[in-house]
Amino acid sequence: MLLELMMNGHALLYTGVTLAFWSTILIVGICYTIFDLGFRFDVAWFLTETSPYMWANLGIGLAISLSVVGAAWGIYITGSSIIGGGVKAPRIKTKNLVSIIFCEAVAIYGIIMAIVISNMAERFSGTTPDTIGSKNYQAGYSMFGAGLTVGFSNLFCGICVGIVGSGAALADAQNGSLFVKILIVEIFGSAIGLFGVIVAILQTSKVKMGD
Amino acid sequence: MAQCSAKSSFILCFCLFWSSGASETHVPLLVWSSHSLPPVSPPAEGHITSHGELGLFLSAALSSGSHTVLLFLQERLSQDDFTLYGGVYGNKEDSAFKNLEAALQSHSTVFPAVECSRSSSVPVILEQELGVEPLLLTPDALENLKLDATVSNLLLISLPYCHQNQLCREELRRNDEVIGRVLKTLEAKNVPYTAIFTGLQPSRMISESSFSAPVGRSLLQSPAPPPSVRAPIMFSSSVNPCIMMWAQNINVSFTETGEDWTDLSTQTPNVTGSLCNGSNSILVLNYNAGITLSFFMSQRFFPVSARRWFNLDSVQLRQNAVSASFSSRSIYAPAEYSYHCQMVNSFRDALLINENTNASWRLNFIDFQIQGFGLANTTDFSYASDCAGFFTAGIWMGLITSLLMLLIFVYGLQMILQLNTMDRFDDPKGPCISVPQTD
Repeated sequence: MLLELMMNGHALLYTGVTLAFWSTILIVGICYTIFDLGFRFDVAWFLTETSPYMWANLGIGLAISLSVVGAAWGIYITGSSIIGGGVKAPRIKTKNLVSIIFCEAVAIYGIIMAIVISNMAERFSGTTPDTIGSKNYQAGYSMFGAGLTVGFSNLFCGICVGIVGSGAALADAQNGSLFVKILIVEIFGSAIGLFGVIVAILQTSKVKMGD
Repeated sequence: MAQCSAKSSFILCFCLFWSSGASETHVPLLVWSSHSLPPVSPPAEGHITSHGELGLFLSAALSSGSHTVLLFLQERLSQDDFTLYGGVYGNKEDSAFKNLEAALQSHSTVFPAVECSRSSSVPVILEQELGVEPLLLTPDALENLKLDATVSNLLLISLPYCHQNQLCREELRRNDEVIGRVLKTLEAKNVPYTAIFTGLQPSRMISESSFSAPVGRSLLQSPAPPPSVRAPIMFSSSVNPCIMMWAQNINVSFTETGEDWTDLSTQTPNVTGSLCNGSNSILVLNYNAGITLSFFMSQRFFPVSARRWFNLDSVQLRQNAVSASFSSRSIYAPAEYSYHCQMVNSFRDALLINENTNASWRLNFIDFQIQGFGLANTTDFSYASDCAGFFTAGIWMGLITSLLMLLIFVYGLQMILQLNTMDRFDDPKGPCISVPQTD
């Protein structure tokens, strides 16, 4: 089995990279421990020295990109099934576009949140932790968190809706009366994307970036 | 008549004229004879024949019986004279030494370099060998001289050398003619002779470069003297040092324009007023002109990291009655280590923040190291926790962002690459699928 795994070049590459990464971390960690330099591993320094701009923009980027990944994945799964099933049962194609629309909605949530979050990003003039101020740090981290929230929620929502929609299309191709009931499953799946949006809005409700 | 003015003192006068002392001055010496000369192995290139060696040769040559020795003593002679005026470059007709060359054809020996010193000289050596005093002659006088071949005779003929303005070639040609005439006269008298042609001093002195350069390769730049390093400023409470501080430059400026930067590190400060107890250390440096620089440090135990940390809370600068305080929140290190930073200033990437009304005062410490606690009995700094880490904040931000994007890219690439065309229902031998035209 290992040989089978090794036959795949990608697996070898990923194994190698992962091994290199973790061994670097391990060796650096051991050296720091031996030389009593553990005090230089300073998470607080990292969090205060890195700019809130970076966190904010990462949040915005992740919001839209992860949502789009979810939507795309879902559409690709559903779409393949609809197209494949539609060859033998062309009547399914109109009704099953609803699944595609549910997947697309996830991407729309993502872009709306990205626009909402990016509107909160303002310029501030501090450069040191003291002069930047706590409000700006809070803004940066909140925007990052919100972006992650909506992004991952939409990612999994999209995948979920996609797989369910794929099953719906194939079931519909077999037996036309099944579709309406399966649609309810899809609606539940799509609700979780909406939860992510709501929580992200709550996270960024108190954001006030700027001087 | 012969001029019998040859005395040892006369020879000594000649010796005094000789050039100062380098034992490397040498003159060529040519010996030829009407009879045979003892063989001598050719000297090595650059070898300067010493008077001892010359004496050996002459004693071998003049050993038995009585000899008549002709000594042509030119005022100056060097090998270069032969090269320049001897017609050696294929222009034999320009040679100024025609008679000499003819004389050297038979029974001759050449010493290219005989040492030239004050103490002994060729006439003196010959005098010793032959046991007779030299007889100074003019060429014309030789014709009238009655030579007794049964006793040894030492005949000295001095030849002039050209001075600055004269033509050397003509002078040497005249000398050569003199030599020729003298030799003809002696042959006419049928006297076996040994003739020596040499100089009193070398006519050209080429100073040799000293060989004192070290063998092997070395830098052209002389090694710079090791820079003297100042000792760190120390404050000792009771016996042991308690606070140590060192900086390459301690620059303070009191005016807005920054033209009056004063480097306090050139002065030696007075540390009175400093304080050192378990949790606080204050280093007070008193300089001339009423300037005082104080460093306030404190240390305490932090339970989360479970170690003691010290912090340089503030730096106070006082000039006479006016003082300014610079606070800092980012100068800290574990209490048992020292803190080092290449640049600690109050205006650019400021670690010291000026929170006074007179905002024109500035501090700039270059290569700054301080330790307020934890000094053992030694006078060395402990390990220096540096203000510069391995990665800066910017590097971390860039790394995170780029690694994240790389991760996403690799993941996407992996997904796309594992897409395959579905071939489960491919059946090349089965019927083709039928696509209904209607719904």
